Amino acid sequence: MIEFRNVKKSYPNGTVALKGVNLHIDDGEFVFIVGHSGAGKTTLSKLLLCEERPTSGNIIIGKYDLKTIPNRKIPHYRRQLGVVFQDFRLMPNKTVYENVAFAMRVVGTPARMIKRRVPAILNTVNLGDKHSSFPDEISGGEQQRVALARALANNPSVIIADEPTGNIDPKMSVEIMNLLVKINKLGKTVIVVTHEQSLVDYYKQRVIRIRDGLIVEDTKAEVNLNEKKI
Amino acid sequence: MKRRYNIFYFISEALKGLKRNGVMTFASIAVLLSCLLVMSGFSLLVLNINVNLERLGTLNEIVAYCNSDADAEKISEIEGAIKSLDNVDTVVHVTKAEALKSLQEKNPELYDDVTEEENPLFDSFTISYKDNSGVNELDYQLHQIDGIYRIRNNIDLANKIESVKSGVMIVFLWFLAILFVVSIFIIINTIKLTLFSRRKEISIMRYIGATGWFITLPFIIEGIIIGVVSGLCSFFVIKFAYGYVIEQAMSFQMLELAAFGPISNYILLACVGIGVATGVIGGGISIAKYLRD
Repeated sequence: MIEFRNVKKSYPNGTVALKGVNLHIDDGEFVFIVGHSGAGKTTLSKLLLCEERPTSGNIIIGKYDLKTIPNRKIPHYRRQLGVVFQDFRLMPNKTVYENVAFAMRVVGTPARMIKRRVPAILNTVNLGDKHSSFPDEISGGEQQRVALARALANNPSVIIADEPTGNIDPKMSVEIMNLLVKINKLGKTVIVVTHEQSLVDYYKQRVIRIRDGLIVEDTKAEVNLNEKKI
Repeated sequence: MKRRYNIFYFISEALKGLKRNGVMTFASIAVLLSCLLVMSGFSLLVLNINVNLERLGTLNEIVAYCNSDADAEKISEIEGAIKSLDNVDTVVHVTKAEALKSLQEKNPELYDDVTEEENPLFDSFTISYKDNSGVNELDYQLHQIDGIYRIRNNIDLANKIESVKSGVMIVFLWFLAILFVVSIFIIINTIKLTLFSRRKEISIMRYIGATGWFITLPFIIEGIIIGVVSGLCSFFVIKFAYGYVIEQAMSFQMLELAAFGPISNYILLACVGIGVATGVIGGGISIAKYLRD
């Protein structure tokens, strides 16, 4: 469960990015967060990732209150999340396998379990045959799938995808979105921050629209989530 | 699930980091090595000053060295002349064979293979005097005796050495402090460069949920490796250099250098210990500041 209670965020230079956001996301929901540039989407992402703290209000995610969480607990909180970025953020000197395994090594997963889980996760994102490739040897769409695999490595309860299709072609965008749909059907909460209206229009899921730091629209899902045919 | 962290992973990450920034790693080791060499050199200098002060013994002693070509008759003549002086209390003749034997007992590794034929030392007389106020005149009288090569006047020498020792100690402590701070700064800059080159990787680690110590430990280990390598290298360089100095100083009876053997463990411990401390502090400061920022 994710809850924002009258969350405001101001930066030291005086910019007020969020002016009192209230929202509630249940476990297992698929949510689009949309808005134009400067609306406050990025700030909302940063708050979810605990890169920033709210100036006022509370953010409750599971058992964590992101306003008061001690710094030493932030890494443990982030292990509940799987994050996918627009620019993939893969380690260039590690193979596909090592990039996914690294996420598990960071949290102290035993080597035996890493050896068992990584191939399974790579198969989930249809990259089983690319395990020994380096990021610069695969396409943008494949890199984003590796990023998705890494996000899934520690079995998080929430997946946050910040403009996941921003750097890839339309065909690959559909593949990535279909994978997110698949992940959501496994019971994980999926939050997609995007400005691509076509994706929002097609998948017809809950849409939270932000404008000038406030939520101006919060529509419910219209249809059951289905994968789009490529 | 029981979480397990493998120390060898962190060590291998540290080695990869050192290799990736090879030039800066080399520069850090070179600077730290230089600092440790200067520190060790100064330490040995201070140690030897103390050893020689102790060797001087009581201040009311003068040592007169005979010419190298003085035969038994001449030496006897010199002894008689010394004993005839007013302010002289006791006169002890130390033959050059006895002097060599004494050196061989104190530094066997250096002097054991010196034979009597090769003995470069001189016959000497250790003279104790009765009255401190007359020591300058006694010194003058001894200089007038034919056959005496050199006179060691303990008072002047002791006073000079005492003031030199104080000066050296002050300079040594300042040097130690400055070099220690410089070394830490060099290591901080090395680690900073590593952090900068790996900033993307570190930010990814933070998003994935790596704790501060998981990120920090490889950099601390890098600092330790730099410290250990610098410490060991400086120890072996100083050991070699000091051995050479001892060999060269052998012909100067005025100076006795402390043997390296008994103090080698302390020097090794100090070099490696200070090296590691510098590396850990430098690495820790760099990464702590980076994570805080």
